[in-house]
Amino acid sequence: MTTRAQFIQRVRGEMAKTPGLFAARSADRPQEPGALAETIRRQLAERWPAALARFSEEFERVGGVLYRVADMEEACATISRIARERSAQRVVTWATSVLGAELEPRLRAGGLEVAGETAGLPGEAERSRFRHASAQADIGVTGADLAVAETGSLVVLSGPGKARSASLLPPYHVAVFGKGALVESLEQVGVIFEALHRDPGTMSGASISFITGPSRTADIELTLTRGVHGPREVHAIFVESL
Amino acid sequence: MANPVRASLLVTCLVDLFYPEVGVAMVRLLRRLGVSVDFPSNQTCCGLPLFNSGYHQEAARVARRTVRLFAHSEHVVVPSGSCAWMVKKEYPGLLKDDPALGAQAEGLGSRTYELSQFIVKVLGAPDIATDFRGRVTYHDSCHLLRGLGESQSPRQLLRRLPGVELVELPGADQCCGFGGSFSVRLPDVSAAILKKKLENAEATGADCLVACDAGCLMQMSGGLSRKGSRVRAVHLAQVLAGSDSR
Amino acid sequence: MSVGELKVPFVERAHRALNDRFLQEALNTATTRFMTLRHEAFQAFPQGEALRERAREIKEATLQKLDFYLEQLADNVERLGGHVHWAATGDEARGIILRLAQERGVKLVVKSKSMATEEIELNEALEHAGITPVETDLGEYIIQLAREKPSHIIAPAIHKTKGQVAELFSRELKRPLAADPEVLTKVARGELREKFLQADMGITGANFAVADTGTVVLITNEGNGRLVTTLPRIHVALMGMEKVIPSMTDLMVFLSILPRSATGQKISSYVTLVRGPRRPGEMDGPEEFHLIVMDNGRSSQLAGTLREALYCLRCGACLNVCPVYRQIGGHAYGYTYSGPIGILLTAMLHGNHAVRDLAHASSLCGACQEACPVKIDIPRMLIELREHLDRERIAPLAERLIFKSFARVLTTPALYRVLGRLGRLLQRPFVKDGRLGALPVFLRGWTDHRDLPPVAERSFRERWRELER
Repeated sequence: MTTRAQFIQRVRGEMAKTPGLFAARSADRPQEPGALAETIRRQLAERWPAALARFSEEFERVGGVLYRVADMEEACATISRIARERSAQRVVTWATSVLGAELEPRLRAGGLEVAGETAGLPGEAERSRFRHASAQADIGVTGADLAVAETGSLVVLSGPGKARSASLLPPYHVAVFGKGALVESLEQVGVIFEALHRDPGTMSGASISFITGPSRTADIELTLTRGVHGPREVHAIFVESL
Repeated sequence: MANPVRASLLVTCLVDLFYPEVGVAMVRLLRRLGVSVDFPSNQTCCGLPLFNSGYHQEAARVARRTVRLFAHSEHVVVPSGSCAWMVKKEYPGLLKDDPALGAQAEGLGSRTYELSQFIVKVLGAPDIATDFRGRVTYHDSCHLLRGLGESQSPRQLLRRLPGVELVELPGADQCCGFGGSFSVRLPDVSAAILKKKLENAEATGADCLVACDAGCLMQMSGGLSRKGSRVRAVHLAQVLAGSDSR
Repeated sequence: MSVGELKVPFVERAHRALNDRFLQEALNTATTRFMTLRHEAFQAFPQGEALRERAREIKEATLQKLDFYLEQLADNVERLGGHVHWAATGDEARGIILRLAQERGVKLVVKSKSMATEEIELNEALEHAGITPVETDLGEYIIQLAREKPSHIIAPAIHKTKGQVAELFSRELKRPLAADPEVLTKVARGELREKFLQADMGITGANFAVADTGTVVLITNEGNGRLVTTLPRIHVALMGMEKVIPSMTDLMVFLSILPRSATGQKISSYVTLVRGPRRPGEMDGPEEFHLIVMDNGRSSQLAGTLREALYCLRCGACLNVCPVYRQIGGHAYGYTYSGPIGILLTAMLHGNHAVRDLAHASSLCGACQEACPVKIDIPRMLIELREHLDRERIAPLAERLIFKSFARVLTTPALYRVLGRLGRLLQRPFVKDGRLGALPVFLRGWTDHRDLPPVAERSFRERWRELER
């Protein structure tokens, strides 16, 4: 069995043989990503309407549907309407600690069956319950940590109360976000990621997903088909009060 | 003219043996443009076929004698993008073991031009009178296009000819399938690639398919004549020289 | 294509592909579509050109400190609670995965598309050990059912018609299915969803691995990459060691150019960043995360002719623009990696003998280099590979003798002139209407398809005497 030391030794041995290489640098990383990320956030506090307009354009280009609402109450009504139009009954959501306490009761009041994620340390039974609920659910409701205008992507960081399955297993995904999530470009995402990783306390989950429109494939005769494994519809609700 | 531009022809083996009329057209054209032309008679081939097939020592031997043969040329003009590329881009590397020769090769490279580039960049794109008439389309040969980064000079020259209408060839920048020994090693693949090229050329409604490389010319004219097409493949020099090229 | 078919010479495999009418149509449609999408995507992205340069430099810079970045990656993966394994060969990589699966009683494995696992023929090994691997990328699922190899890096089943897929699915699921991509996709969703939920282990490749955060990056359009890394309790990622990149900032450069090069998308539908097993408090995600770093012939090219091939992002752009690939498709190449870059990777993984014929499956037109997001100089490396074939006496003796004699002719003008005249003499019986329509021996292939001009009655050098005046 090859050990790390042996493997690296072999690589080093071969590297030593390379003849004159050209000078090459990797990308220039921000010296103080935290400060730079803060600057970006501050600038976006001004510029967010333009970012939202661009996000809207790109998100719709990839097949997403964007709604703009005043507050969570209206957001819940929108979710209920999306559900009604699709004859959807079962909803799985991120924890109330993340999405706000009003979401679950409002959706229930709208006639939906809601399986919400519970906060705290889930045990095996809880995991299995949630997994089953997600697999059975018609709609998954999540937040979005970032909304990238350049590409129309929703970025979700997993963590306690922020299950991955909710945006993945149900055929309809609805993400709720506010202006604080808007960024303009992948480059800015890079800065924010650098900042997040610099400060280990900020990332409590093991997965980050960029979701750009519905799941799609063109593997049979190049015919574009949606919803092959992930959701076949992705909805994003921009909530002004968030 | 007090000091005419002087140019030596590197006529290439394909033009020498198969398309001498292209060489003749080039001589007459350049002379009309006031260039003093000479032809170092011991030249053979630039060695590209050897190089591309991996016979680099052998190609270096050919390069060595070509560099010496053209050591005193003011300019070297080549009617083939691929051969010009070979001299300009590959000779210096092939001969780098002998620093003096390597330097000479660099020098030769900087004085060597593919025909259309020579007319545009050295002669300053003078007006060219030709009795050639008709609708033409232009095929970018790969080495001229991607090796030497040239797509404009030939088009510029063609566009300015009064009796010539240039129509763009769909997929002009796609290979014709020649590739030197490739066309002999994998003849049916080469021919399948050619088929698309010719269909595109015929669809333009052009009378002539113009190229700046004798290799592409050989491939494309071979396919056109086999299918009995009314389109003819001609070298840029033949268009520019008109009936002078006979 | 099974490996046994490699006994058929390349020329014959190419010939068969040329005569497969459906394949021809499918290839033409698919490659043209991808080519157009890529072209349009970069036209609408003016900064793309600079980012390609940037990306190329990042790849080179990473290789120059590869030992450092690999160790940094390993440290960070371990810090996040993952396990790192080192595989010098494909054999060893297979062994590691089998051992992990067997020790944990794994029966069912779901996989997202990974060329690295194709490279080591992992599925065969798993099946042999009684473990069921299920490919979940739709295209990969199709070719797995058909027991074939991918014919394109990013569209593995482009050679199949919907009719063939319907037949395949109907046979497998024992019920008749319509030849409708929509229906077939839905059926596959249902089938595969069950597998996702049942599987004990998910196996992926890695499009990138970010050294300073210990992150494995997976890019898919279907979302199967997310499912494979979310549902099973064990996630194993197999990466070629050249996939490591320094930082998140670098990653963003690649995220901008890889999808555009592959499918013309600004970004693929799903980009999944995996940082070890799930954290405490997370509802889902795997309990165990294993990263296997694989060499398998790569290190031997760090200082070798094919170094630049280690920049490859596996986007498939060079396949789509290659005039040869566009005619013969992926299977004719006979190995896991096809197209122009595939020839280089095959040489890297299987040695130069494997590419004796393949090295010549290129007209050296340069379209591949032009399309490559990291501008890999594929034509140059093909030429250098050919040089090795001569030097290592892998090229056929007859060919080597012909070229060496040819060199003699080109360096001896008198001989060159004599041969020109000889050609003129010998061709006489074959000249008809001023062209050569049917020649014997090695030129037969040429004249089977097109004419050859005869050697001119008077060569240019003979005419020069009168031009000289």
